[in-house]
Amino acid sequence: MKRRWSFVLTSLVLACSMLVTACGTPASQPQAQNNSPESPAKTEPAGPKTAADTLFVAINADQGTLDPAVTFDNAAWKITYPAYERLVEYDGESTEVKPGLAKEWKVSEDGLAWTFALEEGHTFADGTPVTADAVKFTFDRTLAIKKGPADVYSVIKEVKVDSPAQVTFVLSKNFPPFLSTLAANYGGIVNPKVKEKEQNGDLGQNFLANNTMGSGPYQLAEWNKGEYLKLTVNPHSSVKPAFQTVYFKIVPDATAQRLQLEQGEIDIAEGIPNEQLKAVKELPNVEVLQKPSLFVDYVYVNSSKGNAALKNPKVRQALSYAIDYDALTESVQEGFATQMRGPIPKGLWGHDESAHQYKRDVEKAKALLAEAGVSNLTLDLLYSDNKPWWETEALTLQAFFADIGVKLNLKKIAYATSREMIDAGEFDLALGVWSPDFGDPYMFMNYWFDSVNFGLAGNRAFYKNDKVDELVRKAASVNDKAEREKLYKEAQTITIDEAPYLYLYQKDFLLPVSKNVKGFVYNPMLEGIYNLAEMSK
Amino acid sequence: MKQIILKRLTMLVLVLLGVTLITFFLSHVIPGDPARMMVGQRASEETLQEVRRQLGLDQPVWVQYLTYMKGLFAGDFGNSIRTQQPVVHDLIAFFPATLELAITAFIIAIAIGIPLGVLSAVKKDTGWDHSSRFFSIAGISTPVFWSGLVGILIFYKFLGALPSSGRLDLTIPPPAKITGLYLLDSLITGNWAAFTNSLWHLILPAFTLAFAQLAIVTRQVRSSMLEVLGQEYIRTALANGIHGPVLLLRYALRNALIPTVTVVGLSFGSLLGGAVVTETIFSWPGMGKYVVDSIAFLDFPAMMGFTFVISFGYVVINLLVDLTYYTLDPQIKE
Repeated sequence: MKRRWSFVLTSLVLACSMLVTACGTPASQPQAQNNSPESPAKTEPAGPKTAADTLFVAINADQGTLDPAVTFDNAAWKITYPAYERLVEYDGESTEVKPGLAKEWKVSEDGLAWTFALEEGHTFADGTPVTADAVKFTFDRTLAIKKGPADVYSVIKEVKVDSPAQVTFVLSKNFPPFLSTLAANYGGIVNPKVKEKEQNGDLGQNFLANNTMGSGPYQLAEWNKGEYLKLTVNPHSSVKPAFQTVYFKIVPDATAQRLQLEQGEIDIAEGIPNEQLKAVKELPNVEVLQKPSLFVDYVYVNSSKGNAALKNPKVRQALSYAIDYDALTESVQEGFATQMRGPIPKGLWGHDESAHQYKRDVEKAKALLAEAGVSNLTLDLLYSDNKPWWETEALTLQAFFADIGVKLNLKKIAYATSREMIDAGEFDLALGVWSPDFGDPYMFMNYWFDSVNFGLAGNRAFYKNDKVDELVRKAASVNDKAEREKLYKEAQTITIDEAPYLYLYQKDFLLPVSKNVKGFVYNPMLEGIYNLAEMSK
Repeated sequence: MKQIILKRLTMLVLVLLGVTLITFFLSHVIPGDPARMMVGQRASEETLQEVRRQLGLDQPVWVQYLTYMKGLFAGDFGNSIRTQQPVVHDLIAFFPATLELAITAFIIAIAIGIPLGVLSAVKKDTGWDHSSRFFSIAGISTPVFWSGLVGILIFYKFLGALPSSGRLDLTIPPPAKITGLYLLDSLITGNWAAFTNSLWHLILPAFTLAFAQLAIVTRQVRSSMLEVLGQEYIRTALANGIHGPVLLLRYALRNALIPTVTVVGLSFGSLLGGAVVTETIFSWPGMGKYVVDSIAFLDFPAMMGFTFVISFGYVVINLLVDLTYYTLDPQIKE
């Protein structure tokens, strides 16, 4: 008898606690979602709990190094970008640049000398003025440190100080996207006084890993590891932002972020996954911003080192025709994505709105396979746990390919290992993502298709076409934008037709923001970076 | 006694040596290249090789191991690849948070678990026994990510009584750093605002973490108590007129505690190393979260440092457990 009694008690308590969770997470419980309009008391706006001059942003994970000459991690850029200024800056929502520290610039006929005239009145956070020497120091330092960012600037032969207010970059070859690279995070000008912080000849890397020394409107005031990073204003900046303090609070758990946003404890929550966003949209005090991003999700089709059948463009086209793109974005990204139209995403110049776009056509796909003389094709699809949606994506593709008689084996491998395999070309198909470091179609066309970039570097399809090589290389050597656009268009036509990649979709940028927050401008080149100085609430 | 401690300390060195050896080689056998992770995917081969050279990854593994050990003997854990900071700094930053959470959870587990176990044993097969056994079964079978979220929902969202994340409100400056344990530091410096605030933040994660441990303690105490209570010397004691709390605490519990101490000691070790999920749910800036991030980045100096500290902790706890035996039972000899 007693045993039975304790069993009843156990079930009762369990049932009660499940009920509590069910009520608490309306997102995952459709029936609870339906109830919410009937019980407005629960969904009343929590109201701003946070002070008007302070912004609270929840981020997923702590930062690695913050040194602009070292970090290649976009997540760190949200801290460093507002703390430094660059010679040129991205202009509002566009991928073009506008004057920054430099008020004007000119490039020589041969494209080898870029001269920048600095604007007066820019000051580092310690009061030191920004001069041409600081510019030279920054780029010399980056090149001497020889980490990722140095690779981007390997084209720089020399930085010459013409006068305290003028500096010239001498390049070793014409590199049209150069201007755009200066607006990226690693173009941030560093205070030369970092030399005083040098340890064992590290050029201040240790210090700048968790400090900032720039002339931007903000500076890093405090970093409590694993907990938060606190930015305060640069007292010497001519910009006077509304937010005096900005907290980047590390909240690894998505549900915790959502609750805190709901309660008004944070203003922006970066880490809420798509499947929860529809519920977050219903919150009265929150708005979910949605903009097309330049972040693309695509499939590398190994065109020379994988399954021999993939060497035939017809087989690759067949795969492209097998996919129902709308169904894919719906199931994998909850519809928060747009099908790609060729390699260059919408929103970046060079995108060709008239280019061919593959649509699902099972008969055509089967016919193409028959023409290629391929039957009973079995392919491996390599992917990792790097992106949470890849599991669903792999399964969806498997179903589509089955419709045209292609069997897809799913090979899920640890992220680091999968990268090695991709670099070595040990796969048939592999899932991948790409986003540009600077606002130039070079980031897509030259990286993806130039056969010198085989492997992780960019040409992950191991695709070689002499005509394409010629076109993209030429486009990277002339400075006339119209001419370049024409060359890239021609190269796109070929590479869409030959389909060394399955062009899936460009993701939408989604950000749940408290309705009090005003003035945020999304720039597709600066994803995850805030224009803090222009924001308020 | 001194001899035992000395012997154990020699063992400690050997254990740690073995641990470094295994961890180092395991972390180097995993395919994947931290230099690649660092320079970004698009870097040229020259840059990649240069960074590999800077990190010493171009050397044969055994040379890398010797270099690492040389540094270790000088107290240098090397630099983290991900944060570019000396690993020691990172460990100092993250370890106190984990320790504070583990100790608090441990105290809660013992303070509730032992009385509950004794009660269960004494009132065997009554409502008390069933309730306490239910409680401990629930603790052991509820996953932390679930009980943690339920706690947050009830106490943060519905009642608004407790904070849901972090060690302190962002607006409250942390106490001056002495031990890194906020409770202790704020107590020493008399910083009451920080003390109450950090206590407030500690409640939910500590109880969540303690819940599972509590089950282990309660069950262990109950079964050993039952065993001890059935023994003849207890009957003799009863016959001699010893009863009530004196009998329970001085005669029975003392003996019942010996196996409990072993279990509890090991569970403390697992509290140190295994609080990753709790730390994630409560945004607790501890080592678990740090090491998971490090593993994803193939940051092996950080992984090594973490493993070293945890194994050190385990060995020390084992030593303490053994020493406790001697105090509890003078009969136990070497």
